Amino acid sequence: MSDFVFAPPEQIVVPVAGGGLFPVRRIFCVGKNYADHVKEMGGDPKDVPPVFFTKPADAVHTGGKFNFPLATDNLHHEGEMVVALKSGGTHISEATAASHIFGYAAGCDLTRRDLQAAAKEKRGPWDTAKALDDGAVIGPITPASDIGVLDKGSISLSVNGETRQQSDLSLMIWSLPEIIARLSGLFELKAGDLIYTGTPEGVGALVVGDTCRIEVEGLSPLDFQVYERHG
Amino acid sequence: MRDYVISPPTQPAIPVVGGGWFPVRRIFCIGQNYLADVKELIGDHVKETEDEAKKAIPVVFTKPADSICLGGNIPLPLSTDNLHYEGELVVAMKSGGTNLSPSAAEEMIYGFAVGCDLTRRDLQEVAKELSGPWDMAKAIDNGAVVGGVMPEKEFWALEEARLMLSVNNDVKQEEDLKAMIKPVWNIISDISRYFEVKAGDLIFTGTPSGVGQLVPGDRVRIGINDLAPVEFWISEP
Repeated sequence: MSDFVFAPPEQIVVPVAGGGLFPVRRIFCVGKNYADHVKEMGGDPKDVPPVFFTKPADAVHTGGKFNFPLATDNLHHEGEMVVALKSGGTHISEATAASHIFGYAAGCDLTRRDLQAAAKEKRGPWDTAKALDDGAVIGPITPASDIGVLDKGSISLSVNGETRQQSDLSLMIWSLPEIIARLSGLFELKAGDLIYTGTPEGVGALVVGDTCRIEVEGLSPLDFQVYERHG
Repeated sequence: MRDYVISPPTQPAIPVVGGGWFPVRRIFCIGQNYLADVKELIGDHVKETEDEAKKAIPVVFTKPADSICLGGNIPLPLSTDNLHYEGELVVAMKSGGTNLSPSAAEEMIYGFAVGCDLTRRDLQEVAKELSGPWDMAKAIDNGAVVGGVMPEKEFWALEEARLMLSVNNDVKQEEDLKAMIKPVWNIISDISRYFEVKAGDLIFTGTPSGVGQLVPGDRVRIGINDLAPVEFWISEP
């Protein structure tokens, strides 16, 4: 099937710590997965369960220079731990979920918060807020074989050296195995999938000139710098 | 050869009428682009006149590139008791950019195809109720059914075209494409204000009135004049 009518897009990849490239198929994200973040967004974690949404595979940005996105006056950072899958399936049990994990990375779900507020107001889709170009920032993937199951440990995000988000992976409402199990009831998971596991409290705006760092205990840190957009 | 740690996925692609394959990068979809459909879905709450609808922020959602399905047998998707069909005109892009004018956007069209946006309507209703994301309803596996792409020059009669969708030979959707609130080049222009449009993008341009449920055993056929028709049937999961 190589008879393409024009050049296909390049395979999107994320570097693996220690060498090699992880090819990305899809990006799934969990929203509302830390109680204190649900509260800061005006919700009650007892009333609203976490939700899944998606980003395009080619929204991956591996850090460094980041151009301010189109169409927003309120770009927000959401520091997250990201899981990379080496296999998948449907109706995966929590007991076997870990066997599908290739590794983990520090990530940032960038969000056009103004467009998300407009979407919520109209009960419309979140895609203009969440599926933005370069909106899935991710650091190098550390193989699970090096660190085991990552179900606890600190996660933090700083802007210009000042800590804005600080929590622990053990505070996720849906645990890692539960996320994989639930997601596989909705979509067939496959090798190459990335799952952003939700952000803790402390989300806020990024502006041109900001330097953002996300650290997850045991993983390579992620750094990016926000530049003015040209064109 | 790049040093992949796992096998990379296959490039999603759809056939071009006359030969070759159109490689898919992203799939954008527009909701509420036919006024009758807007009324059908939100009932008495519709207050927009056609002029207001034209000026509104577009309802844009996405599907994964590999949710492309070329028709044939489709097992009932996971986790739904109310799978809906939405017959649509699909635009395929050969180039793109940001903040495109409608006339610039028109020059970047590669061709047109017939498509069906499959939707887990029950999950969409929950999403709307909670002001949540639509992806669990819309980004479903095999959820972007699309036929062969006809290169643009061979489908010049867009304004005169009519979409027809039938289920088990009963016509369920039938509408002129000129009944769209926004024509295709304005849709592309709108999307390019939020996302950089690129070669390989598919745009589902919205569905007319008459959407409804599909159950195992149902056979769907969608046609738009002389574009390649789409045919599929739903089987038990």
